[in-house]
Amino acid sequence: MSNKNLFLKSAFVRAPLQNGVGRYVCQLQRIVLKFCKSHGASRGIRDFIEQDLVDFSRQNPGVVVYLKPRRHRGPVLVAEYLNGDRVWMSVHNKTHSEITKWMEVLRTQQGDVAGARLKKYQYTDYPSVQGPWTPFTFKDPELNVATLPDPKFGANNRLSVSATEKLRLMFEKQKISEKDMKIGE
Amino acid sequence: MAFVKRLSTLLTRTRLSIPINTQSRKIHRWVSPTLIELKYREKKQGGKVFNPRNQFLEWNLEAELYAFGKRLNEEFDSDLLLQAFTDRSYVIKEEMKQKEMEFDLKMKDNRELVKEGEQFMEEYIKLYLETVLPKFPMEGIVGIKNHLMSESVLSNVSLYLGTKDIILAAEYPVDHQTLANTFKAIVGALLKSSGEEQTAHFVRDFVITQLQGQDVNEYWHIEDPWTMLTELIAKTGSELEPRLIGEVGKNTLLACYRVGLYLDKKMLSSGFGETVAIAKEMAAREALKKIFGTEDTMHPINFKLNGIPKSTSDLRYKISAN
Repeated sequence: MSNKNLFLKSAFVRAPLQNGVGRYVCQLQRIVLKFCKSHGASRGIRDFIEQDLVDFSRQNPGVVVYLKPRRHRGPVLVAEYLNGDRVWMSVHNKTHSEITKWMEVLRTQQGDVAGARLKKYQYTDYPSVQGPWTPFTFKDPELNVATLPDPKFGANNRLSVSATEKLRLMFEKQKISEKDMKIGE
Repeated sequence: MAFVKRLSTLLTRTRLSIPINTQSRKIHRWVSPTLIELKYREKKQGGKVFNPRNQFLEWNLEAELYAFGKRLNEEFDSDLLLQAFTDRSYVIKEEMKQKEMEFDLKMKDNRELVKEGEQFMEEYIKLYLETVLPKFPMEGIVGIKNHLMSESVLSNVSLYLGTKDIILAAEYPVDHQTLANTFKAIVGALLKSSGEEQTAHFVRDFVITQLQGQDVNEYWHIEDPWTMLTELIAKTGSELEPRLIGEVGKNTLLACYRVGLYLDKKMLSSGFGETVAIAKEMAAREALKKIFGTEDTMHPINFKLNGIPKSTSDLRYKISAN
């Protein structure tokens, strides 16, 4: 791990609590909208609250929405997830439509996804379906009926071919192809 | 000349002070000291400070309880749900406070609901496992059930359903036992407010699905698989024969033997190990898995059974009876 990643957690792709095997549970449990009633930077979030917030909470009854007006302080979204993650997001000067989209992102993600580096794009508890390797795993079935010692199975074929042997084989091959040509004529 | 002499030292000095452009790895030298300092300050403060979420300004218990039921797609009776989240320790603490302030307000804790929920879960999980693992013996079913009902599994489920902040307990953060008990109490509350079938589906969706991707054989430790297998086979009247079907690296550190079990001269299973005895035991385990229908290639457990299944425990293998 390099120094760059000292503060970035690493994680695997996982569904919390086998979500979706039984039933789907929205992982966003509560969201706090902090804003100022008069400051210009909160304009977008004020518009969102006036126009879309009631619909949002009606469509997502499982998400508790809190509004926290604060005088002359920047607008912020704080999302809390079932796995204990807390995502803090500044929406300073963001427009109404941008905030609608960010709310959708916060609602549909399963936790602080951006706060972790994925080690891999896939995950499994069982990397092998054929079990651990043993010397018998890829054994040639022909060996079961062979009577040993057998020169076929006892031959030392692990050494690489020597240069002389290679030349000899090439010569043999050439001879065969010459013979074929003669027959062809 | 004297001037040049005086200047020469200055010149050499300036030449030396020019930084030589060497490549260096940018190691953040501040990271370690900062972390050490932070840890020291934390220790001086007397450990990590937890701010209970339910004491924040933006907290509404009623809304949280409503959202809790809606999130899980269940209809809870709101009083019962509040009772399910009230731990005994909280009631004791509140009563002490009330005594000081001299007034009396009755509060109900969740002990009763815990008992009811636990009883229901025990029965239902057993029936469900009997149905989805029809060939698995009773002892194994009980092993899996005990695993699912264990504190670690239930507290994990409870935590990921978001009970941590809602629980009314004397301490924060709450311990595993309180989390597990709260989950049982929630099941008890649901049983009272929505009926048995709805509760059964709740338990199925959140507790039994924890078996997804797990090996069910791990929750039942078989001491002597060979004796168990021979006893099972003896009842059918077939002949069981172990054969040494492979050996590699005899008398070395990496010796490996392979034993096959043959039932009426047909191969039932095979196992390998560093001695013949271990290989035979592994082969017996494989054979038992095959007989019980829980081999590695088994179909995934069905998590979609509706209703409460009926008991079939009379029809299954009884290992202990032998």
